[in-house]
Amino acid sequence: MAGLPQIDSLMGNASAPRAERRGKGLSFSPLIIMLLLVAAALICYGLVVCWSATSASTAHSFTRQLQGVAIGLVAMVVIWHIDYRRFANLSTFFLVVSIVLILLPHIPGLGTDAGMGAKSWIRVGMQIQPGEFAKVTIILFGASMVARYGGKLDDLREYLKCVVLMLLPFLCIMTQPDLGTGLVYLFIAATILVMGGARVRYLLVTLALGIAAIAAIFAIDEVIKNSTGDYKLLKTYQRNRLLVFLDPESGTSDISYNLSQAMIAIGSGGLFGKGFMNGTQAAYGYVPESETDFVFCVLAEEFGFFGAIVLLVLYILLILVCVRIARSSDDLFGMLICMGVVGMWLFQILENIGMTCGLMPITGIPLPFVSYGSSFMLVNFMMLGMICSVCSHKSALGKRGVYATPR
Amino acid sequence: MATLHTEKPPCFIRKVTVLESIIAAIVAALVVLVVIAAIAVVRSRRGNETPMVGPRVSHVDTLAFARDAKDGDGGKVSSTPMEAPGQAVGNLKTRFAALGVLVAGIFGSLTAKLWSLQVLSSSVYEERAENNLFVTVSTPAPRGEILDSTGQVLAKNRSAQTVLAEAEVATDTDVLRRLSAVLGIPFNILRQRAADSSAGAQGQRVLAEDARLRDVAFISEHADAFEGITIEMRTIREYPYGALAAHALGYTGSPTQEQLDGSEEGREILSVDTVGLAGLESKYDNVISGDHGARRVAVDAVGNVVEVVSETLPTKGSDIVLTLDSRVQYVADTALAELIAPGDVIGMGKGVSGAAVVLDVRTGAVVAMSSFPTYDPNKLTGSISEDIWSVYNSEDSYAPLSNRVVNGLYAAASTYKAFTSLAALQYGFADGSSTWDCTGSWDGFGSGDIQKCWNHAGHGVLDLRGGIVNSCDVVFYEIAKAFYDHGPNGTGELSETALQDYLKRFGLGQVTGIDLDNESAGRIPTPEWKTQAFRNRPADGVWRGGDYTNMIIGQGDVLVTPLQIAVAYGGIATGTIMKPHLLQSVRNSQGETVVTYEPEVVMDLDVDPSDLSFVRDALRGVITDNKNPARLFEEAGVQAAGKSGTAEHTEKPDDAWFVAYAPYDDPKYVAAVVIEQGGGGSEVAAPLVAQLLQATLAADSGTSDVVPQRLVGSTGQVVEYKGTSGERED
Repeated sequence: MAGLPQIDSLMGNASAPRAERRGKGLSFSPLIIMLLLVAAALICYGLVVCWSATSASTAHSFTRQLQGVAIGLVAMVVIWHIDYRRFANLSTFFLVVSIVLILLPHIPGLGTDAGMGAKSWIRVGMQIQPGEFAKVTIILFGASMVARYGGKLDDLREYLKCVVLMLLPFLCIMTQPDLGTGLVYLFIAATILVMGGARVRYLLVTLALGIAAIAAIFAIDEVIKNSTGDYKLLKTYQRNRLLVFLDPESGTSDISYNLSQAMIAIGSGGLFGKGFMNGTQAAYGYVPESETDFVFCVLAEEFGFFGAIVLLVLYILLILVCVRIARSSDDLFGMLICMGVVGMWLFQILENIGMTCGLMPITGIPLPFVSYGSSFMLVNFMMLGMICSVCSHKSALGKRGVYATPR
Repeated sequence: MATLHTEKPPCFIRKVTVLESIIAAIVAALVVLVVIAAIAVVRSRRGNETPMVGPRVSHVDTLAFARDAKDGDGGKVSSTPMEAPGQAVGNLKTRFAALGVLVAGIFGSLTAKLWSLQVLSSSVYEERAENNLFVTVSTPAPRGEILDSTGQVLAKNRSAQTVLAEAEVATDTDVLRRLSAVLGIPFNILRQRAADSSAGAQGQRVLAEDARLRDVAFISEHADAFEGITIEMRTIREYPYGALAAHALGYTGSPTQEQLDGSEEGREILSVDTVGLAGLESKYDNVISGDHGARRVAVDAVGNVVEVVSETLPTKGSDIVLTLDSRVQYVADTALAELIAPGDVIGMGKGVSGAAVVLDVRTGAVVAMSSFPTYDPNKLTGSISEDIWSVYNSEDSYAPLSNRVVNGLYAAASTYKAFTSLAALQYGFADGSSTWDCTGSWDGFGSGDIQKCWNHAGHGVLDLRGGIVNSCDVVFYEIAKAFYDHGPNGTGELSETALQDYLKRFGLGQVTGIDLDNESAGRIPTPEWKTQAFRNRPADGVWRGGDYTNMIIGQGDVLVTPLQIAVAYGGIATGTIMKPHLLQSVRNSQGETVVTYEPEVVMDLDVDPSDLSFVRDALRGVITDNKNPARLFEEAGVQAAGKSGTAEHTEKPDDAWFVAYAPYDDPKYVAAVVIEQGGGGSEVAAPLVAQLLQATLAADSGTSDVVPQRLVGSTGQVVEYKGTSGERED
């Protein structure tokens, strides 16, 4: 990482003495209060849905979810306390930590696939998904790296360097393989690059190349299939999952069955839903993974269109508050952290809800604050903590988040 | 086990009301508005702030982004052209705006999709959710019982432990070996049953019906070792008297594919049902089978029943009461078996197979219907073992499944003479004073082809009564010649089918209409039939005088069933041909008699009463004037009138016939017996008829002391039979 331009953190800068900083420790600005209110509403709503979703299952315990929330609250408060600017120069560290986290399940004896196919879990007393925690470090890594360019990432070599470094976690997670989480990493990276001031032309070319790469994978796979009679690059289930949303009723595969059952659950909820704990699609096992990836089905079935809209409105509020905090942040690093988090949530919301209603390909991505799973719940609280930290730690001068102008 | 079949739920489909649509549209619009407003707020705030950004840029520079203090790479970055602060800010503004558009796009499209799913197509998905959740399970109904006229139960239901296997078990040798050890069924047989996909490829296969409780308990306790094996209580059909009246009762089993496909109106046949496959079980299947119960249940994704929503109990089928009297039936069944197969081996007695039928001449009610060899319907119910099936179906064991009373076709032999003598009286070819001289052989057509009377020594001069009593063939050859001479080849007074048309008046050559399926019609040979039958050899198809002489003594191409002969003699006895029937009444599941059979007259005989009484007298003479029958019927105490017959074959022993009704002066019952390859009629068949009429009259007068026992089916054991032939003396 020596090649990267280093920036002085505020901590290390003599011209920014500690005393000048406003907001020591926890501060309750209106923005933070709003953030916490929205988050609290989301978490409560999520727990209600989770209660219903886990009630029929013996493999999932609501208590564990509550423990996740409790641990998350502690983590959030701790991170809130920490001045995020301490991390501004630790991009190499975060990259290494991310990659180590992502590769952890590959260590024999530690990793487990938890019966789900992909090796995404590790067992340390309990099963945790290190790939989820890597989202935190990837945001910190991306933000700290891109922030150095002060909002003017228009050198091709530097841009490419950033892109390549940010592709690393994606490539690592694809060894599990976990396409869903990988896409989240990519979306975080893209958000940080866009908001970090990368030249539009580069971004567009990158986007075009990405699309071309996806097309190429399918095309080459088709060629391989024609010559060897079998798909090699993408496993059949991956193909099915990626393509089933184009025509949910078509296939006879499990995937398309799952998707149509998910859509039946959502659609049968109607305007006002069947009522709390009255859902049948999820409770009787028609909808797969109804506690985790397809938890939205439970919500939509039991609370109907209104329930879903309430959730969406809460998400919009959360994102707007985060964007406000990003904009009010007085340095680029803080702003990019917030936007990385926003990007992650945006993508997870879009992908999770989108896949359950047949709008997006199916990938295993949890719904923030609602899906069962303490790893991701903890990660969400850490994200909240980081945003609170950004909001709380501002310089006395009250700079608002803007791009720096290099001298 | 009930079959799951989905059914469209009739209710619960909620239509989206106009109001709901409007509300949803308003909500969706509000959400879009919120997003747009939010973007606007963000943008306007940014707009407000913009003026303040400019002056502070320098602070930011000095505070945080002193990048040019760095070496090498940093230098490169800073070597890029300077940008005005405003441009940088503008850049950021654009990007936030782009993000706002993205947010609006994401939430807008999600909202739109949800609206379309949950509001626009809600009813479709609700219906599909209901279809998922609710299924209607049919529960089989118990079949009605079958009772004889005295109230004895001939067929009933019994619940039995059934061992069922999933399709996969067929290849699981371990499980099959263990089962073989537990159930005591040979491994190979178990494997065959497990591989039997006749109940559907995915269906469960019946490995053992009626398993012992202790074996079932062992299997249940060691479920791990018997993967794919389930135990179920199923009702199976039981015939308490075994082979008694087997051919009349028939048997039951799983429905055939045809029955499944072609379910009749108002009768739904499911693969788990038990249906009648033969006999009365099949004929009255609609009556005996009840109405399926229906349970509407909620099931989870795996198919477990979560909740029973509603349940209609199955209705037991109606009981049917038969005209059969189990006491007489028992006598008929045992008598036939003892005569033909002493020690259960065919070939050790007289004949190789036989049939006996007793009718009430007044109503056509069948009192006994027996065919030998016979079978035990208990062994055909449910899963039929291969060896039983081959024994019951093979020609070598003389086809035990065949009901010879309605399907056995025999030459009527001299039993025909009652009808042909009536024809002779009708057409005036004979009367009470006619006489003929029997020399033992006859060549009335002068063809040189000499036909013999059974009594080669000749009967001497006989009148018609003597011809019937002595069963003199020559007398009837003369009558046949009379028909021939008055036919188209002679004077042309009569049509060439005058005799045949007359015979039809007795129901010969046509089905009697008994309530059993696939009854055989028999045959009265006609010139037309002969031409058709010999169409490949036209020279042999010419109707000759010899055809008359053969027909008139019930030989040649004449074919009758024992039932036809019994019905026709009933007609002679009473002057009325009654439709034979087995059903007496139907009782519904509450025990009320809902249908009672009304005796049906097929036709009143169009015969001169004096001719009829002449023949009746002659038939009485057959029994009183012949030494053997006279002794038999006297010993039996039966005042009968009847006729013997001995059907001659060129390649095998004679069939023995005897038919008689009693009492001769007040006819109540008629009994007909045929013993295939049995020999002489009055010697072999007459004792059975005497025995049957005795038993029937005893049962009728309430003095019967017969107690029916459970009978076994034929074993299929056969030794070579050496019968007698050409010893005719009827």
